[in-house]
Amino acid sequence: MLKWILILWPSFLVAGIAEVLFFTIIDPQELYLLGEPVEFSKIATYSIGFFGFWLVCAASSLTTLFLQRGPEELNRR
Amino acid sequence: MAKPAAAPGSTGPETPPDDSLYVSRKLFVRSTSGYFANWRWILVWFTQILYYGLPWLTWNDRQAVLLHLTERKFYIFGWVFWPQDVFYLAILLIISAYALFFFTAIAGRLWCGYACPQTVYTEIFMWLEEKIEGDHNKRRKLDAAPMDGRKFRLRATKYAVWGLVALWTGFTFVAYFSPLEELLQSARSLSFGPWETFWILFYGAFTFAFAGVMREQVCLYMCPYARFQGVMFDPDTLVITYDESRGEPRGTRKKGVDPASVGKGDCIDCGICVQVCPTGIDIRKGLQYECIGCAACVDACDQVMDKMNYPRGLIRYSTENALKKKWGKKDILTHIARPRTLIYGGLLALICLAMVYGLATRSDLRVDIIRDRATLAREVADGAIENVYRLQVINMVEHPRDISLSVSGLDGIRIDGEHVVTLPAATTETVTVQVRVPSDAASPGSHDIFFEVGVTDAGDTTVVRERTTFILPR
Repeated sequence: MLKWILILWPSFLVAGIAEVLFFTIIDPQELYLLGEPVEFSKIATYSIGFFGFWLVCAASSLTTLFLQRGPEELNRR
Repeated sequence: MAKPAAAPGSTGPETPPDDSLYVSRKLFVRSTSGYFANWRWILVWFTQILYYGLPWLTWNDRQAVLLHLTERKFYIFGWVFWPQDVFYLAILLIISAYALFFFTAIAGRLWCGYACPQTVYTEIFMWLEEKIEGDHNKRRKLDAAPMDGRKFRLRATKYAVWGLVALWTGFTFVAYFSPLEELLQSARSLSFGPWETFWILFYGAFTFAFAGVMREQVCLYMCPYARFQGVMFDPDTLVITYDESRGEPRGTRKKGVDPASVGKGDCIDCGICVQVCPTGIDIRKGLQYECIGCAACVDACDQVMDKMNYPRGLIRYSTENALKKKWGKKDILTHIARPRTLIYGGLLALICLAMVYGLATRSDLRVDIIRDRATLAREVADGAIENVYRLQVINMVEHPRDISLSVSGLDGIRIDGEHVVTLPAATTETVTVQVRVPSDAASPGSHDIFFEVGVTDAGDTTVVRERTTFILPR
């Protein structure tokens, strides 16, 4: 459980900051998705954007946790 | 897995088992009353009237505070902010940071103890819990008891009431970003949009989980601020302190017994300071990173001291230096003004002034000039040279305005076509402008020219002057 909190929580905080910065600078209507202009409602784009950021940040947290295991833990396997 | 690090010098919580969020034990926090409890409740009322109430206020015939995400405009009372105003947001964040530094340097975790939403909602949720399930002893018993009709009824009631508060909190949250009026219409027919529904539930679930279930765990293991607040403390920072020299050796005794006559200190070891602590620590072990500075133990201990007829303040707001050097209240207060607090305070005041100045002198008409990318310059019928510009004009006030355009900087320079434009209220308009110059007006190359955009309405003398370049071909 603690492991999941350590992955999901810091990434949630950073995703929040990234979301605000990104969408302050970029208007969702100026985005293109696979060559086509994004046609979702703005709220949908913001929401999908937030979860996208969260996913990416969580992947980073996961990698950090994965790499910080000590030799003892690795040798046990 | 790494264990959450305890602050240096603290005894830390009991070592957490790796697979559990719940670390030491379930806490059944005893409620307190008294001076600091009153302050906490005042802050609960103040912040929550603000939070739940603001979306209902109207201003200029619209919602007073609305961070309108779809329109990409933030309405805050008389102001309308555009994405271009991100500067003010940055200043606001800097002000918040310095305010946090400043108050922490003076009196420790004032934010955590009194104003943090985590504290405030936990306070509200615990109050509801006590009303439904009874005091801390009853709650402990109920928790240990096997599930029966009564326990089920109490638990169901508690979760239902918490759920309602959480839903209302989620609804209010969404009302800051999506107009309340539209939300109310959707609420009447229970037809929220999919994303609105999602965010109401998402924020509601967070409120429920954080304030109802996780509580102190959020402060102990999830809050980044708790981890670095120590660097803002110094020996003159007011923190909740147990006066060890006065309290020890602790021990039980009969009411009204003079501590000296039984060879003991003032602490009667009743343990109430531990029972009331929302993070479950013993303040008598000294300053710990788990202490959120809520002062519940101060109220509790003062009441015990009153009953024993001992002076109050065995646990009180004091500083490291005051304790060491036996300072009184006056010495503590004079040490509030010290280089650290003066620097934090000075910077805070400066940035606040800059913000006020920026807002007061903020132009309510903004012009961005973009040169036409397709053609730099072309020759037109009468032999003149034409450059095309797109003017993005933002009318930042909430009524329509007429503007006139003029251009200067080269001999014979003029605008071809329409010079007067009507801007709707609080909108961005793009105006395409053809500027013509006689071909012999200047040498070939790039020349600075100036656009002047002025409001022509009576009583409004706003003028914006912007520089751009005019290109004459070879």
